[in-house]
Amino acid sequence: MRLGLRDLPSRLRLHRWLPVVSIAVAAGAVAAAIASPRLPLQDWGILAVFAVVIAVGEVNRIVLPGGRETAPMSLAAGYALAMTWDVGEDYRVSFGAGVVVATTSVGMLAGAVPALIRRSPVRADDLAARLLSVAVAALLFRHLSVWEGQPLLTLQDDWASTRWVTAISMVLVSGVALFVQSFCVAMATASRDHRPFWRSLVDEVRQGAGLGAALAASGTLIALAERPMGIVALPVFLVPLVLTQFAIRRFAGIRETYGQTIRALSRLTEIGGYTRRDHPARVAALSVAMGRDLGMSDRDALDLEYAALLHDIGQVALREPIPGGATMMAAPADQDRIARDGAGIVRQTGVLDHVAVILASQAKPYRHVRELGEDLPLASRIIKVANAYDDLVGEARARRARKHTAAIERIHLGLGYEYDPRVVEALIRVLDRRAAVVGAG
Amino acid sequence: MLVLGLLSSVVRERDVGSNITFSFLSIIIISSAVLIGPVGSALVGAISMAFDRGGRSAVARLFNASMAGLQGAVGGLVYLAVGGANLAQVHGAGVLIMRVGLPLMVADVVQMLINALLLAGIVRLSSGVPPRRFLVQMITNSGVAYIGYGVIGFLFLILWVPADVGPFSAILILAPLFVARWAFVQYGEEQRAHERTLSALVTAVETKDPNAAGHSARIARLAEWMAEPLSMGTQEVQALRYAAMLHDVGKIGVPTRVLRRPRPLSLVDLEALTRHSSLGVKVVRDIEFLSGCLDGIRHHHERWDGLGYPDGLAGDEIPLISRVIAVADAFDALTTDRAERPALTPTQALKQIEQRRGRQFDPHVVAALATVVDRHERPLTTATEEELEQMRGYLDHDDPIAWEHVWTAAPRSRPVVPRPEPATAGPQRHGGDQNGDETPRIPDESAVAEQVRAP
Repeated sequence: MRLGLRDLPSRLRLHRWLPVVSIAVAAGAVAAAIASPRLPLQDWGILAVFAVVIAVGEVNRIVLPGGRETAPMSLAAGYALAMTWDVGEDYRVSFGAGVVVATTSVGMLAGAVPALIRRSPVRADDLAARLLSVAVAALLFRHLSVWEGQPLLTLQDDWASTRWVTAISMVLVSGVALFVQSFCVAMATASRDHRPFWRSLVDEVRQGAGLGAALAASGTLIALAERPMGIVALPVFLVPLVLTQFAIRRFAGIRETYGQTIRALSRLTEIGGYTRRDHPARVAALSVAMGRDLGMSDRDALDLEYAALLHDIGQVALREPIPGGATMMAAPADQDRIARDGAGIVRQTGVLDHVAVILASQAKPYRHVRELGEDLPLASRIIKVANAYDDLVGEARARRARKHTAAIERIHLGLGYEYDPRVVEALIRVLDRRAAVVGAG
Repeated sequence: MLVLGLLSSVVRERDVGSNITFSFLSIIIISSAVLIGPVGSALVGAISMAFDRGGRSAVARLFNASMAGLQGAVGGLVYLAVGGANLAQVHGAGVLIMRVGLPLMVADVVQMLINALLLAGIVRLSSGVPPRRFLVQMITNSGVAYIGYGVIGFLFLILWVPADVGPFSAILILAPLFVARWAFVQYGEEQRAHERTLSALVTAVETKDPNAAGHSARIARLAEWMAEPLSMGTQEVQALRYAAMLHDVGKIGVPTRVLRRPRPLSLVDLEALTRHSSLGVKVVRDIEFLSGCLDGIRHHHERWDGLGYPDGLAGDEIPLISRVIAVADAFDALTTDRAERPALTPTQALKQIEQRRGRQFDPHVVAALATVVDRHERPLTTATEEELEQMRGYLDHDDPIAWEHVWTAAPRSRPVVPRPEPATAGPQRHGGDQNGDETPRIPDESAVAEQVRAP
């Protein structure tokens, strides 16, 4: 059954298991490193520099636009370590993948310490995904035989005159490792946010593609430049990536500001006395959870969130507020006018056209789809249901359970006529999960 | 190299919205100066630039091409002159940095100077801008970028020759830069989107009070002009502009019937109206980058003599931003057509404001307004007959004359005496910490129910 399959990551609680798996990998790597023959002193020096840079990279994590956290410098250094072969023109390192993983985990743990001291949360599953990804790169480059029983590491000698082949092989190794990282993170988000896995993976890959290209290139650059320059290459060749990181940080920053502005806009109706306290924020949170459950992509979910926040903005043009701000109770013609006024205000920005389209149809009953063949956006149908639920339940803490039951009954009366049954199912799933969390806590 | 140069001139994009420009061609020119010497580098520069797309005139194209050629040639010569080594013969990190990196940076700086000098010359010829000022501006603007080009060029060269990767190194080096450029472009777009959304916020509020349409945008421009004679810093001007744009958003919390009700207004109505400045803070306080504007919005109806609202601050206690907005606000209101009078000319309006200098307005700010009136043409805001009919009886709370009439005409009303609230009084207060719900003082509580008659 489709439903069972898409629920699998969250039912297995994969985001809890991921750190456990990577701790096991790290422990195995440390054991392997101890068991392996003693390393020359020069190798220790190289490993120490890598561990420090990885730790620094972990401290300087960035938040991607869209809210995912990542540590580009740490990952690039990790890949470079995994693919290090000659450091200086006449010195070859002798460590294997076990030592690579052990060094990376030391660096990553050290990098997490400042955050732990500041008591800011460290996402263990992201950290685990990064470590596993470096482990994959190290295994691929150092131990997987690709040609006549030789791994890429030893093949480098045959490619001395065609070094670009080396470069391409390294980019490919990093690419695979990056995909493993995306795969792990997607599994964790699917499990945590109750989203279909496939959707999470697509979003993860799409969001990480740009940075991923920069990462794979940087790891390769460092590994290649270590031959002529020695270990100095590590900090020096991270410079382009630092620039990239800076640019992405700026981008994410303005995204965040944009979100704050939309939330401020959403509070206009509240301050104007048109809607109840936090109504737009509650509808937005509920809508996004429903959208996620129905497999919306990040981009669509963002539009949905903005539309849900702004869904009552059309009331600003009303002369007198509706009692209690509950648009659900207003006459259908009024609901429609508010929706159209809101869409008009939002369209004036010239940049939120998707949101305006969602807003314009938010009051239309579901039967239009079947009777008139209209194409109502999924986001509009979601907002209609979420808004109705919030209007019916309200913010009352008392008698919440009974109000909840009454609200669901009332919505069921409009099933297929006012409301999209598929969306109502999503509402019930989301609310059940919330109840489970509240019950457990 | 030539191929790379051509490619880079094709992907060039000057304006990414945030004063940050990447010129991949500059990286290519500096690298080829080292790799293939002065002659080759000159050719790469000139030919790439000649094929630059973009609808420039033939003369401009010729100028650009010869400038790029000259940059390449001189860069190559300087590199050799300061002892730059042949890349294939040096080994080891230290030697690479000293014998390649340093000479390369010298050549890079010389290239930047050539670029700046030539541009300053051509700008002087074509538009008469003093070359020295232009030079300083060029170097402060693009100096950091050129150092970046030098560093990236150095990395590129190491990868090409000592690491033996060859032309493929271009892809590896440029990939992170392309991603960075992409992110900067996104940043610029998002910033424009944000700006437009903010102004939509203002428009949304103005739909509630059609008689004030366009007021916020006009104030923002006026306030920006006034910042110049007041010699405010860039950061402060930015805060001033946003505060001016958003100073009346609190009107959203004023009932529409009050905003549109014809005079006479009851004191209850007036009180509701005066609440807009503190409500405005409530709307925008969660937008982090506006944190510098909150006090400016809250106090834009304070008076120099301490008789304003909501907190009765006086003199320097009032944030400068608020004092500027107060003056700009009044000036714009006076130069707008109203039912009871046509718009005043800028000189008349200035006179009205000067009469209130030292009482309602900060004298320095009024002086700044005088400079602005002198310096900038500013159209009056006119209304058609029909619109005038519509706004009959409308009270513009920003119009000092109308407001005084309403205020002094109120029976038994006397000047508002601020009653300092011990918990919140003081100029250092932060508007965002207060919830903005409090009621501003009104002249006399016993007069609340009475009607205030308009003249």
